[in-house]
Amino acid sequence: MQQILYLIQKEFRQVFRDPSMLFIIFFAPIVQTTVLGLAITVDVKNIQTVITDYDNSTASLAIRRKFKNNPYFSVSGYVESPVQLREKMDGWGAQLAIVIPSHFERDLVRSQQPAIQVIVDGVDGNSAGIALGYALGVLSDYTIDVAMANPALAFSARRIPLVAPLARMWYNLDLESKNYMVPGLIAVLLTMVSLFLSSMGLVREKELGTLEQLMVTPIKTWQLILGKVSPFLILGFLGLAMMLLVAFVVFQLKVAGSLVLLFGLSALFLLTTLGLGILVSTLAHTQQQAMFISWFFMVFLVFMSGFLFPIKNMPHWVQLLTYLNPMRYFIIILREIFLKGSSLKFLLNEIFALVLFASTILTLSSLRFQKRVS
Amino acid sequence: MPGSIKINSFSKSYGDILAVNNISLAIDPGELVGLIGPDGAGKTTTMRTLCTLLVPDAGEVLVDGRDVRTNVAAIRAMLGYMPQRFSLYPDLTVAQNLNFFADLFGVPPAEKAERLQTLYQFSKLEPFRKRLAGALSGGMKQKLALSCTLIHTPRTLILDEPTTGVDPVSRREFWNILRQLRDEGVTILVSTPYMEEADLCDRVAFMYQGRILAVDKPAQLVHRFPYKLYEVSGSDLQSLRAYLEDETDALSVQIFGDRLHVSYGPESALIAPAGAESVQQIEPSIEDVFLYLMQTSA
Repeated sequence: MQQILYLIQKEFRQVFRDPSMLFIIFFAPIVQTTVLGLAITVDVKNIQTVITDYDNSTASLAIRRKFKNNPYFSVSGYVESPVQLREKMDGWGAQLAIVIPSHFERDLVRSQQPAIQVIVDGVDGNSAGIALGYALGVLSDYTIDVAMANPALAFSARRIPLVAPLARMWYNLDLESKNYMVPGLIAVLLTMVSLFLSSMGLVREKELGTLEQLMVTPIKTWQLILGKVSPFLILGFLGLAMMLLVAFVVFQLKVAGSLVLLFGLSALFLLTTLGLGILVSTLAHTQQQAMFISWFFMVFLVFMSGFLFPIKNMPHWVQLLTYLNPMRYFIIILREIFLKGSSLKFLLNEIFALVLFASTILTLSSLRFQKRVS
Repeated sequence: MPGSIKINSFSKSYGDILAVNNISLAIDPGELVGLIGPDGAGKTTTMRTLCTLLVPDAGEVLVDGRDVRTNVAAIRAMLGYMPQRFSLYPDLTVAQNLNFFADLFGVPPAEKAERLQTLYQFSKLEPFRKRLAGALSGGMKQKLALSCTLIHTPRTLILDEPTTGVDPVSRREFWNILRQLRDEGVTILVSTPYMEEADLCDRVAFMYQGRILAVDKPAQLVHRFPYKLYEVSGSDLQSLRAYLEDETDALSVQIFGDRLHVSYGPESALIAPAGAESVQQIEPSIEDVFLYLMQTSA
């Protein structure tokens, strides 16, 4: 036990002597969480909109006003002809166009169900779909307004819905992506720092030749691994605390659940990634190799975790593969604790998976480690 | 037997390469033995096996009478190993390095201070206690590495080319320390590429292509040289060498710095060739013996 403490002490001495390490551990999480938290967003806001109004009636004005006052749309102008509209769309001047036909108001009053054309720039399919949804929402809102004001019209127009849906997004009231992304980002950054630090740390000793020197001391392999892993676990905690602070100060995101639970489960996850780092260091001879192998793992960990791309959208066999990704479980845990305030009993499946990963990877890496040096 | 080393028919290979080929060597406690041979002779493999870092393929390797295969912990606790490359933490100070290894070897705190003091004294590193190990000179680095190796008062020392790349003055100093340790009863196996250091050992083992060609006291080894040996000097060594090799009965002609060593069988003798400035018969050195053994073993 004593021996492990000496190793930890030594490790910290080295870390605090190296300014670049301090940067990686403290400064990088703050900067990355702030900048990336703002950058990685799937929110569709400020949809550039043009309106062609052939009617110029009270009804069409009402629709124009509706779009103008809606925070998701930014009405950039009114065009007179289809040619102008095409020019606008071609020149990236508009993502969405609303065309109100002539005689719109007249047809409306006559209950002839006049059509309104909505044109969306479909290059970015994802945003296009969301923008279209918002536009339809605005239009149906308008229809309801009309129906309320003219009950007689409502009865004659069969297509006006009589049941108005009242949608509420639970846990993320405004469907803001930062609420979803920031916890995921924390998982990514935590994985990166811990994986890289632990894989490079041991390989550095290999490069220096100090590993050979350590091996001839009476210290046992498990003590050596524990002594190497624990400092990074502590540093990982510090990084996590920094990122939680940024989430709160910059993004007004408060952890809804228990902080103790969050840190406890992070420790479990960190043991997995640190163990993976040790495994990488048994494969690599130089820090450069360790870096490349770590990146190889990192890419799979991040993109198959559901951080950016929902796992449900992946082909079935790829979905099965994601079960092998420890980060998948950790992202769920972080989002649940962050947003829902979930307690331990709702996370048992994920915890079980992480325990399995941590113990397997640590055992595997100490076995491989032993083989290599003796 | 505390401090003893016994190697019996030991072999070790890496894949297809036979690094050590059936060697045997016995070292008594308190002996200073030099392991001498060119790069790739198998010196490092032998030493790492003694340190329990490698497992022998065949044969028996005993340190303190304990098998390196099975008694790893006990051997490591009583053995000091200094690898060929400087392998301490360059970003820790001299004192931090020493303390770290003292702690890892479980040196009791009460003994630690005294132990460090002794090591500082003989290594003369005390004034540099707070200096980063990476900022030390080559000679000082080796002395620090040796100090770290000695921190737990091992009975056996395995030193892999500790003086390679160190300046002559520091090398002499280093060897003085080794002989002092030997006098205190520490068993030392040290490898070196410098032939002149062989004379400083109690016994020398010549290693070449995975085999030990000879083991003996330095003074005895030179008797193994069976020929008459001449030293020849001249301004144009290359043409002298060509002449001696082609035109006389010379058994071998070797370049030794700015002169040639030429050996002849008992029935022939060397007549001073044209272009030679001086010719004299000399006693063979350890290096002559080694070169002779290498040639005859091939």
